[in-house]
Amino acid sequence: MNSFNFKTYLTSNIALDNDSIDDLMLHCKQQQIYKGDFLLRQGEKCKHSFFVESGLLKQYTIDEKGKEHIIQFAPEKWFISDRESVYFDNPSNYFIQAIEDTKVFVLDELFFQELSLSHPNFLDYNNRLLHNHIRHLQKRITQLLSATAEQRYLDFIQVYPDISLRVPQTMIASYLGITPESLSRVRKELAQQFQK
Amino acid sequence: MATKPVEIVVNPREPHFVGDGFRVHNFIPSAYRLDMQRMDPIIMLDYNSKFYFDPSDTPRGVGVHPHRGFETVTIAYKGKVEHHDSSGGGGIIGEGDVQWMTAASGVLHKEFHEREWSKKGGDFQMVQLWVNLPAKDKMSTPKYQAIENATMSRYVLEDNGGEIEIIAGEYKGIKGSASTFTPLHLFNAKLHKNALATFDFPKHFNTALLVIEGEIIVNESEPVKEDQFVLMANEGETFTIKATADAIVLVLSGEPIGEPIAAHGPFVMNTKQELIQAFDDFNKGKFGYLEE
Repeated sequence: MNSFNFKTYLTSNIALDNDSIDDLMLHCKQQQIYKGDFLLRQGEKCKHSFFVESGLLKQYTIDEKGKEHIIQFAPEKWFISDRESVYFDNPSNYFIQAIEDTKVFVLDELFFQELSLSHPNFLDYNNRLLHNHIRHLQKRITQLLSATAEQRYLDFIQVYPDISLRVPQTMIASYLGITPESLSRVRKELAQQFQK
Repeated sequence: MATKPVEIVVNPREPHFVGDGFRVHNFIPSAYRLDMQRMDPIIMLDYNSKFYFDPSDTPRGVGVHPHRGFETVTIAYKGKVEHHDSSGGGGIIGEGDVQWMTAASGVLHKEFHEREWSKKGGDFQMVQLWVNLPAKDKMSTPKYQAIENATMSRYVLEDNGGEIEIIAGEYKGIKGSASTFTPLHLFNAKLHKNALATFDFPKHFNTALLVIEGEIIVNESEPVKEDQFVLMANEGETFTIKATADAIVLVLSGEPIGEPIAAHGPFVMNTKQELIQAFDDFNKGKFGYLEE
């Protein structure tokens, strides 16, 4: 799998000198976790944001019947966190768990605060990230309310081009809010369209 | 002709499971000095060393997955594998058989222990290779070559020394059973104790050995044990294998294709753009459909 160094990611998006980077790195650390390990469990307070350098995470909730609903996948170069818990200090409703052995950069809130103060251009960048996240969530809500299973799947493969080869079908179905049988039907119909 | 020396003898790495049916040691591309370029055109070698699987009513294996841009070669030493693909093809690879699948423009397939074999369980031992295709053939039509052991080309060694099964390429004037896109020799040398076999390959061909069973000495100087892999140097042409116990040795030698390699998961192309296209085509069903 590809691997993305967090420092490289940061410096390729924001103008930062080496001294600033070293200062900032005091507020984050690298962590290796293994398939099945948790970074967050339902009921805990989420204290960090995570940047995925390599591997794959999922964020999900479990309903009263014990069914898992995946809110987000985080492959390489994605951030993942429970912003409600980090920002508003509420207990989390979510689990964040590794689907593959994963290397993350663990960022605490001070990291974002310091970077915002010392580098105003980071504020712009972070704003863009936040708005992008909101756009993504709005699209998710709209799709879950009104889109067909096929539309949801086609959007999913745009957002996550290689996830379909890295996770079982049941996880994709969970993310799309459809049954695995419906997902199988969608994929079969797409293949048939191509065969015609 | 000059002697081709041993470059390095590689011990098997820690095994990992592919699906739940293949317990493999990967040699290419993850072992030290065995990246995709070094053994080009052989870009992957997984070795399921002899491993006992308990009886199971539900066959173990690997579910539906795609391939594009290369060929998979499965060589069965022990156990049986059943496979199916999105073009409607399928079959059983039995002991001694070889399945040569040209994935090329793309197939979906799945591989499981054969149902009846799985019910009984037993020793399982296989090699799977990925053979790269030149750029001009990467998007050609997929095809299969099922090579049954009974019909495989053979060279019988003198003095009851055993035989060389010629899966592909040529040995002492006898042509192999499989057709290949680029020059490639693939043999099973089945040697009786104390037998000696000689091999000649051009020096620029990337050449290696895998000892499937027994023990050998290469060039009368380098002892190699069961499950070890031998990378031969790109110098000289001739080398010998002497069996110090009854032995089976997989012999691989291919002319490098020498083109850029862009690989991610089950796709091996020449450029990153072609990889992105492969993921998109797979996601959109252009590889066809196969039931799990």
